[in-house]
Amino acid sequence: MKVVALAGNPNVGKTTIFNALTGLRQHVGNWPGVTVEKKEGIMKYKDEEFLVVDLPGTYSLTAHSIDELIARKFILEGNADVIVDVVDSSCLMRNLFLTMEILEMGVKNVVIALNKIDLAEKKGVKFNFKKMRKVLGVPVVPTNAKEGRGIAELKKIIVEMAEGKITTNPVTPVYDDIIEREISHISEILRETALAEKYNLRWLSIKLLTRDEEVIKLVLRYLGHEKMDEILQHIGELEEHYKRSLDIIIANQKYEFIDSLIHKFVTHFAEQKETLSDQLDKILTHPVYGMVSLLIIFYFLFKFVFTVGTPIQEALDSFFASLGDIIGSYITNETLRGLVVDGIIGGVGAVLSFFPLVFLLFIAMSILEDSGYMARAAVVMERIMRKFGLPGKSFIPMVLAFGCNVPAIMATRALDDERDRILTMLVNPLVPCSARMVVITFLTGVFFENHNALVAVSIYAISLGLALISALILGKFVIKGEENPFIIELPDYLIPSWGSVVIHSWERSKEFLRKAGTVILAGAVAIWYLSNYPQPVGTGLSYVEMIGKTLEPLAKLMGLDWKAAVSLIFGIIAKENVIATYGVIYGVGESGEALAVLMKQAMTPLQAFVLALVTTLYLPCIATIAAIRAEGGTKWAIVASIYNLFLATVVGILAYHLGLFILG
Amino acid sequence: MVMLMYVRLTQMREGESGIVVDIQGGVGARQRLLGMGITPGVRIWVIKSLRPGPIIVAVGTSRIALGRGIADKIIVRRVI
Repeated sequence: MKVVALAGNPNVGKTTIFNALTGLRQHVGNWPGVTVEKKEGIMKYKDEEFLVVDLPGTYSLTAHSIDELIARKFILEGNADVIVDVVDSSCLMRNLFLTMEILEMGVKNVVIALNKIDLAEKKGVKFNFKKMRKVLGVPVVPTNAKEGRGIAELKKIIVEMAEGKITTNPVTPVYDDIIEREISHISEILRETALAEKYNLRWLSIKLLTRDEEVIKLVLRYLGHEKMDEILQHIGELEEHYKRSLDIIIANQKYEFIDSLIHKFVTHFAEQKETLSDQLDKILTHPVYGMVSLLIIFYFLFKFVFTVGTPIQEALDSFFASLGDIIGSYITNETLRGLVVDGIIGGVGAVLSFFPLVFLLFIAMSILEDSGYMARAAVVMERIMRKFGLPGKSFIPMVLAFGCNVPAIMATRALDDERDRILTMLVNPLVPCSARMVVITFLTGVFFENHNALVAVSIYAISLGLALISALILGKFVIKGEENPFIIELPDYLIPSWGSVVIHSWERSKEFLRKAGTVILAGAVAIWYLSNYPQPVGTGLSYVEMIGKTLEPLAKLMGLDWKAAVSLIFGIIAKENVIATYGVIYGVGESGEALAVLMKQAMTPLQAFVLALVTTLYLPCIATIAAIRAEGGTKWAIVASIYNLFLATVVGILAYHLGLFILG
Repeated sequence: MVMLMYVRLTQMREGESGIVVDIQGGVGARQRLLGMGITPGVRIWVIKSLRPGPIIVAVGTSRIALGRGIADKIIVRRVI
C-alpha cells in the first residue's frame, strides 16, 4: 500500500485533515520504542487504498526533540510516497519554516494543504494561489478541513502524486554568499563518501553547519575524525565571523528567504492587532482570575463526566451481574461456572464498566485540547508545577486522574518531552481516582462520623502531597534529563469540531480496551483462581488467604491483619474491591450496613485510617499498570508498581505508629 | 531620562514591542524558539507580562507563552 505522511506545526488542524482523509478507519498507537502517539488510517480513493501516517506536529526538524527526530527520520528514509505538509494559512511565516525544512531535505513528493483558509481570509489575508504554486514549486491546495472544503481536491492531488503524474520543482532556501560557499565546500567533501548515494548532501551540509548532533554522528561514521574535525574547526571560524551560532544565522536567513517568497504570492497581509483571543487570555491566564476560571472550568468538566457517566456505569454493572446470573444458570459444572461468571464475565465487566468514564474523560480532554484552553491551563499552572520539577502541562493528566488514572496516563502524550511524560506517568497513580474515593468515603463515613470530611480530605492531601514530593525526588534521582524551559504556543480559541472530538476519544478508548483489556482479563482470571483454589475464599483455605496470612507480619506493622492484605490484593483489579472483599470475608456480601457494624467491632479508627491511606497509595490498579506499560513501556510500569508499593508500606507504618504515639 | 534600547524580554512592559536581537541560553531551547518564529530581526510584541507568571508575546499572528527563565535570555531592541 502506498504511504501518505502528514507533516505540520502543532495546532494547524492536522488531525482534522487526517480525520477528513481517513474517516473512521484509523488506528492509534505509539511510535516504536517511544511514548509519542502514532496515528495511522486508511484513505480510500475510488478502488485504491492508501495508508495515511500522521507525523508528530513539530515547528522544525532539528535533533532536539523526539517528535522532530521521528518526523525527520520518516521523511529522510523515504517511507512516504507523498508528504502532505499542512500549513496554517493564517500564520504563514512560521509554518513555511517547517515547509522549507522539509523541502531542504531534497524531497520532491510534497503537497501543501493550505489549511484554515477561512480564518486567514477573515483576518484579511489574500493569496494568489497560482503564483504560490509557481513560487513554491509544489501543489498547493487551499483547505478548511473543519468544513470539508478542499478535501476532495487534496485527495485527488495526493493520488496523482502517488501515481507519479505530477512533476514538482520545489523551492529551497538560499543563504548569503559565505554560508553558500561553505555548503558547497562541505558538500564536495561529502560527495566522496557513500553518503552521496543515500542523502541529500546540501541538507547534510546545512545540518552540519548548525551542529546537528545526529548528523554529526552520521557523517562521522563515513568521514572519520580527522576530516570531521577540520569541518568543525571551519564552522567554528564562521561562528567567530558572525559572532553567533550558525543555527541562529541560518534560521534567520531562512525566515528572510520565506519573507521574500511570501511577498510574491500574498497580496494582502493581516494587521497585527489585539484579537478576541488576546482579550480572553488577559483573564484566563491571569494569576488570580486565571486560577479561578480554571477551577470553574474543571468543576463543570467533572460534573459533566460524572453526571453522564455514573448512570451508564451503574447500568453496565447491573447488566454484567444479570448476564453472569443468566449464563451461570446454564452451566452445571461448578468450576466452569465460577471461571465463566466470576472470572471472565466479572473481568470483562470490570473493564467495560469503567469504559464510559474513560471515554467521557477523553471527550473532556479533547475539548480542552481542541478549543485551545489546554495551553492556557498550562500557563496558569506552570509556576506551581515547576516548583516540583513538573511542567505546567502535566497539570492536565494530574487533574484527569481524579476521575480515572487510565485516561490520565494516556493524556501524558500531550507533554512534549520524554522526561516530563515519564515523570508525570509515574506520580499519576498517587492522585486518588474515583474508585479510591469510594473506599475513602466508606471508611471515613463508618469510622469518623463527626469528622469524616476532614479525615477524607487529609487522606487526599497526604496522597497529593506525596505525588508532588515524589515528582521532585524521582525527577532528581530516577529519571535523567534536563528540565525544559517553558515555551508554548497559544493557538486562537476555537470551537472544537465535534466530529473530531468524538472520533479521537473513541479511538483512544478503543486503544485502551485493546491494550489493557487482555491484561485486565488475565488479572481477573488469576485473582478468581487464587480465591477459589484449593478451597473458596471465606474458608480460610484459598491461596489468596494463604498469601494474605504470609503477608500478615508486614500488615501488622501497619496495624492491619491478613484480611486487609487479602482485600488489598483484590483491590489491584479495581480499588473499590477492597471494601467488597471485606464483605466476602465477613460473609455479609454486599450489605454495607452489616459490614460497617462488623468492621467497627474489628478495627479501631486509626486502623481504618491506615487502611484507607494504604488503599489510596499502594499498587495502582491493574488497568493503570497496563496503561503505564502501554505508554511508557514495561520498565516504567514495574518502577511505578514497586515505587507505589514501597511508598504505601513506609507511609502506612509511619502513619500507624505516629497515630499510636499521638493517641497515646 | 535615558531609555535603555537593548533589554531582556523580561524587562519589557505590556504593550511594548521590539526587535529580537539575540537569543542566549541552551541550544535546545534556542532551536524551539527559532522554529516558532522567535529569531533575531523579528518584531515581537508583549501582550501580557505579569510577574511572576509567564510572558505572552505576539510574533506575527501567533501567540507564544514563555517562562521567565527563557524570556530572560531573549535580548530585544525596544521600538518606541
